[in-house]
Amino acid sequence: MAVSGWFVALVALGAVPVIAGGGWLALAVWLGVCVVLAVLDLVLAGSPRALRLERDLPGRMRLGESVAATLLVTNTGRRTVRGVLRDAWTPSAGASPTRRRLAVPRGERRAVTITLTPFRRGERRAAHVTVRSFGPLRLTARQATLAAPGAVRVLPPFHSRKHLPSRLARLRELDGRTSVMIRGQGTEFDSLREYVRGDDVRSIDWRATARRRDPLVPSALKLVVRTWRPERDRRVVLIVDSGRTAAARIADEPRIDTAFESGLLLAALASRAGDRVDLAIWDRRMRGRVQGQTGAELLARMVDTMAPVEPELIEADWTGVPGVVRSITSQRALVVLLTSVDAPGASTGLLSVLPQLTQKHLVVVASVTDPEVLDATRQRGDRHEVYRAAAAERALLDANRVAAAIRRLGAEVVTAAPADLPPALADRYLALKAAGRL
Amino acid sequence: MSALQQLGDAEQQVLTPTVRARLRRASTWIGLVTVVLVLLLAGVLLARGGSGADPFSPDDASPVGSRALAQVLGQHGVDVRSAESLTEARDAAADPADTTLLVYDTGILDADQIADLPSIADRIVLVEPGFRLLNGLTPGVDARGEVSGARAADCTVPAVEKAQRVETTGRAYAADSADDSADVTARCLGSESRGYSLVQLERDGVEITVLGASKALQNDGIDVAGNAALTINLLGETDRLVWYRSGIADLPASATEGTLTPSFYVPLVLLLFGVALAAILWRGRRLGPLVVENLPVTVRASETMEGRARLYARSSARLRALDALRIGTVERLARAVGLPSASTVTEVVLAVADLVGRPPAEIGALLVDAEPRDDAELVRLSDRLLDLEREVAARLPH
Repeated sequence: MAVSGWFVALVALGAVPVIAGGGWLALAVWLGVCVVLAVLDLVLAGSPRALRLERDLPGRMRLGESVAATLLVTNTGRRTVRGVLRDAWTPSAGASPTRRRLAVPRGERRAVTITLTPFRRGERRAAHVTVRSFGPLRLTARQATLAAPGAVRVLPPFHSRKHLPSRLARLRELDGRTSVMIRGQGTEFDSLREYVRGDDVRSIDWRATARRRDPLVPSALKLVVRTWRPERDRRVVLIVDSGRTAAARIADEPRIDTAFESGLLLAALASRAGDRVDLAIWDRRMRGRVQGQTGAELLARMVDTMAPVEPELIEADWTGVPGVVRSITSQRALVVLLTSVDAPGASTGLLSVLPQLTQKHLVVVASVTDPEVLDATRQRGDRHEVYRAAAAERALLDANRVAAAIRRLGAEVVTAAPADLPPALADRYLALKAAGRL
Repeated sequence: MSALQQLGDAEQQVLTPTVRARLRRASTWIGLVTVVLVLLLAGVLLARGGSGADPFSPDDASPVGSRALAQVLGQHGVDVRSAESLTEARDAAADPADTTLLVYDTGILDADQIADLPSIADRIVLVEPGFRLLNGLTPGVDARGEVSGARAADCTVPAVEKAQRVETTGRAYAADSADDSADVTARCLGSESRGYSLVQLERDGVEITVLGASKALQNDGIDVAGNAALTINLLGETDRLVWYRSGIADLPASATEGTLTPSFYVPLVLLLFGVALAAILWRGRRLGPLVVENLPVTVRASETMEGRARLYARSSARLRALDALRIGTVERLARAVGLPSASTVTEVVLAVADLVGRPPAEIGALLVDAEPRDDAELVRLSDRLLDLEREVAARLPH
């Protein structure tokens, strides 16, 4: 039960008869009247326990968008339920407004719509609905909390998809359609076709031209050119490190979110390029896995897998990574490790397993650098800033040493600020593809 | 995308327990609390019957009461009348000549009331009198202080003589004989320096005894030494003893809050309490429980860098800090002048000196040798490193 402000006002109004009537009798009578009215109102209020709830929710949404969440309230009781309804979503679901006025006559159904604007990805839940049903006098209310579980999966935003069109254009340039530009860059043979003006003369296949010579009209020379296309059907394995270091925020974005953005852009690009992309999110156990998906389904499955994963505060177990890669593919593959390249001490695990991976696969280690550290090296105004700059230089030096060690072990390193890492990784992929190294 | 999530089948699950369920669940506690309350109430009532710790009360059986003395006196045929106000005391006293008045005043009586005391009885025993009583009845007697210890009888007062030894725990008084109106007849149980525990004097035909050894009256002191003999003889000389302890009824009646405030004052205050209670219920009732959510950890990546900077600053690791800056500068300079990353510092120094046209020794001192003696020099050297980088960048063709 709950009382309203009107009830407080009613009790306070008792001051008039107490002063005018002067005394104990007036007080007793007034308090008695208040209690009787309150009880009467409570008895006449519609029971919130008689409500039946249904939710109409979108199953998935992207972070940064707003969706309408509808709650259908059916009154199966004998009286009208009139009052306030609170739909209890977790705070990060960004529900607004959280309280709504409600009036459901007996036997009828009403829809209560609220807007969700989540500010974190993952599973955003609604736990219960609380209804406060006032009586006809609006003095007292019956209150009950009804279980009404609901969930919306908030997917990673994939902001880096804005880089996709330009990278796809670059991919098309690599394709056989403009063989001029890619002749000689390690690609694979596609087909033979007749020469058209504009083709690179170096791509003329003289032996094929000789074979194509029409024996009836020997003078009609038809030149034949080879066309090339980038390698296809290669394997790309994305390993996202969801361990301790992935929780660190750089430029107000956790490392793991940047890794997801980079992974999504690379997956979108590689699947268009005809490569097969697999994803594993790993710290000490498999946190998420997408395998054997192609086309549009791949990205959908990837964001769905990534959505609920939060970094764990444990050190990633790198010794398990070769096994993970082996379980995904036995062929040579491009293995992209989305992790952090920080200090030599923290990277020993990664460095110790890299030789196993580089033996068979092409390995790219992608890591976010902190733009704040770079800025700090340049600010040397006073004593404190100089010490800060020294610490920043030391941090950069450490990261460079780790990167150099990784390169010595035969892997590639891509580092960039959070906003630049996805396109940088995509560019490195395109460069490797153009060079035929996949 | 949209999906209708049906919650439950037919029955809506209600999380708030009904009043009946709540009562049933809390019944154990309600029972326990009731039992404890009843026990407490019973204990308080029983304790109230035994002792209220009312000092010198003839009805109080606690250690500080005087019920033992009053009862013994009663058994010896003395009519002990307890009085809590001056009027009661006057009514209780029959004939002044045949009445002993015991006065125990905690400072309530005023000068007029004190002046009335001698008219009630011819024998007055003042128990531990305060300044006002002494001033009003026995101007020659002054209070001294707390004393204790047994004293032998040392005067001719019959009660003291019969007691032989008296435990004098209580207050001592000094009797100054200079005052004419008070004729001190006896100073007992004490000395000039220490004060006397019993002083007797005669004033306008009234015998006034100032009794400092008050412990002798109380239940836990009456059986020590000759205390019983002293008090029984002192108070039991007449047929009637008026045991007067001043109380609230002796206070002069004057205008109190009750007469000045209007009649609705108290009900109105009670009503305001009711309003406050209703307001607490109104605002304090939460609209359902909170929703629990797991929050992600927030770790700023630059935290380690900041920490290391503070360590450098606190330990004044100037050379170490400067070396870190130098390594960064040398690497950038090597890249700028086109040397491989594996080249030595000497090669970089020579190349840079050649480029900017300054002696290699000067560049070498800046990049390798100079040691900062204080923080100001560290800042200066770091600025010069930046200047050198800028100079090299400016000299290079773009």
